[in-house]
Amino acid sequence: MKDSYTLKSLAVLLENNKISSKELTSEYLKNIENGKELNCYNTISQEKALIDAEKSDERRKSQNLRSKYDGIPIGIKDLFCTKGVTTTASSKILSNFVPNYESTVTQNCDDAGLISLGKLNCDEFAMGSTNKTSFFGSVKNPWKSVNSDYELVPGGSSGGSAAAVSGDLCVASLGTDTGGSIRQPASFTGTVGLKPSYGRVSRWGIVAFASSLDQAGPITKTVEDAAILLDIISGHDEKDSTSSVNPKENYYENLNSDIKGMKIGIPKEFRSDKLPASTQKSWDECANLLKTNGAEIVDISLPHTMSALPAYYIIAPAEASSNLARYDGVRYGLRVKGNDLIDMYEKTRSEGFGDEVKRRILIGTYVLSSGYYDAYYIKAQKIRSLIKSDYVEAFKKVDAILTPSTPSTAFEIANEPSDPVQNYLNDIFTVPVNLAGLPGISIPYANDENNLPIGLQLITNSFEEQKLLNVAKNIEETINYSETPEKWWLK
Amino acid sequence: MEFDKKSLLKLGKLARISISDDKLNNLSKDLNSILEFVDQLKEIKTDQVDPTSNSLNQKLEVRDDKVDTKNSAEDILENAPEKEMDFFVVPKVIE
Repeated sequence: MKDSYTLKSLAVLLENNKISSKELTSEYLKNIENGKELNCYNTISQEKALIDAEKSDERRKSQNLRSKYDGIPIGIKDLFCTKGVTTTASSKILSNFVPNYESTVTQNCDDAGLISLGKLNCDEFAMGSTNKTSFFGSVKNPWKSVNSDYELVPGGSSGGSAAAVSGDLCVASLGTDTGGSIRQPASFTGTVGLKPSYGRVSRWGIVAFASSLDQAGPITKTVEDAAILLDIISGHDEKDSTSSVNPKENYYENLNSDIKGMKIGIPKEFRSDKLPASTQKSWDECANLLKTNGAEIVDISLPHTMSALPAYYIIAPAEASSNLARYDGVRYGLRVKGNDLIDMYEKTRSEGFGDEVKRRILIGTYVLSSGYYDAYYIKAQKIRSLIKSDYVEAFKKVDAILTPSTPSTAFEIANEPSDPVQNYLNDIFTVPVNLAGLPGISIPYANDENNLPIGLQLITNSFEEQKLLNVAKNIEETINYSETPEKWWLK
Repeated sequence: MEFDKKSLLKLGKLARISISDDKLNNLSKDLNSILEFVDQLKEIKTDQVDPTSNSLNQKLEVRDDKVDTKNSAEDILENAPEKEMDFFVVPKVIE
C-alpha cells in the first residue's frame, strides 16, 4: 500500500482503471486485519464492503457513477447510526444496537458511492480525549516516541477515526467534534481534522452527546481531501432543524491557497509558559510563514478564553445528562433486570455506562437541578455569550486565527492523569470554537523532538469554511509535511 | 465538600444511576474536583449578559403539516429488549 493514497489520488486511479474498487477495498480490509493491534475498528464490515465495492465497479463499467469518488472505502466513527450495522457509541449500553435507519451524513457518503469499511472506535458516547473511555478498550496511536516503546493515546474522542487514517487502515474517515474530538486526535496522529461550523453538517442519526455543540466532520491526510469530504457530507437537512439553510459552497473546486492581503490573528490568551517549546516554535514559524506568503499577522485578544473550558464542563454535561436519559432499558440497548421499574432503570444505567459517562451525567444532573440551575447552567450560557462576542470582535479585525491545536503532543496510554480535570485540559484550545459555533481545522505542522506530530489550529468566522481551507492549504503547500509513522504493528 | 455520601446518593437517584458503596469515595473526589474547576466562573461578572443556548442565528422553520407514514410500530419496536404486540414491556408499575 502506498502512503500517498488520498481521496484525490484514488479517484484518479479508479478513473483510469488502474485499480478496481474491489481491489482497493480488499487492500484496506487486509490493512485493517494486519493492524488489529491498533484496535481502531469496533466493527469491520468485511462482507458488506466487498459487496458494495463490486456494485461500485459495476456502476463504473456502465458509466453510472454516483460521484468521482464512487468506490473509495472510508471509515466511520461508531457514533453514526448505520442501517443494519451495529452502532455502539463504544458503550456497553448500546453494544447490541443495530439501527434500522441511516444517519444523514453516512447516507450522503453512500449517495456519493463511498464504501464503509466499518465502525471506528471512540471514547464512550464521545466523552474523552484519549479514547480510553471506550468499552472496547483504548485505540493505540500509530505513532511512537523515538525515545521509548510505550504505547501512546491517539487522542479522542474520534481516536479510532484519526489513528485509522494515520495508520492507513482507511484513506479518510468521519468523526464528530463536541469540544475538540476531531481536531485533538488529528493533532496527535499527524492528520488533518476539520470541525465545520455548527449547522453546516446534519446531526440527524448521530448518537447525541451535547446537541448545541456536536458537529460531524472529516479526518483526512490532506486539506484537499478534507474539502472533498466536506463537499460530500455538508448541506441543509430538513430532518435536523439546526442544520443551516445557508447554501454550501464547492469547497474543493474553489480551493485557492492565495492568502495575499489576508489578516491572521494570533490570540495572546493562548500563549502559555506550559506550552512545549517545540509547539511554541511551530506556532511562531507558521505565523512567519504566513507573513512571507503575503498575509498580515495581527496580535489579537480573546479575553474570555480561559473561561471556555469551565463553561464547557457545565454546558456539555448538562446537555449530555438530558440526551442520555433515553438509555433506560425500555426501547433499545441493554436492559438489566430489576425488582421494579425504577430499579431496572438504575441497574441498567449503572451497568451500561462507564465511569466518565456517569461522572458527566451526574454533574449535568447537578447543574440542572433545582437551586443550582441559575448559578451553574445559566451562568455558563452567559459565559458562552461572552466567548462568542470575543470572536465576533476578533473577526472584525482578522480573516482567520492561528493557534496550537493541543497543549501537548500524544502521551503514554499508561500515563493518563487520575484527576478528570487534568484530562479536560487537553481540549483547552479547541473547546472555545465549539462554544462559539465556528469552524476549526487542525493540520500537522512538524514533528517534535520525540518525532511526534504537532498540530496547529486555524479558526474562521461561521460558515467561512472556504477561507479556512484556503489558509490551511497555503500552509500545507508551503511546509509539505510528509511524515508517516513507522508501521511497528506489522512486525 | 459539596458532594458527600448523602448528596451523591440523592444525585444518583435523580439521574437514575445506582452508585455502589465502593465507588462513593472516588466519585465524590472526582465530582468535587470538577465542581471546584467550574466554580472559577463565579468570579466573572455576567449581570448584563444574555445567555446563549445555541450559536446558530437561524429562525426555526415550521415544516408542512403533512402525513408521514415513516416510523412504523414494527421499526420502532425492532430493538426493544422486551415487547408484546405493539408495546414495549416494562416491569409492573401499578399493583
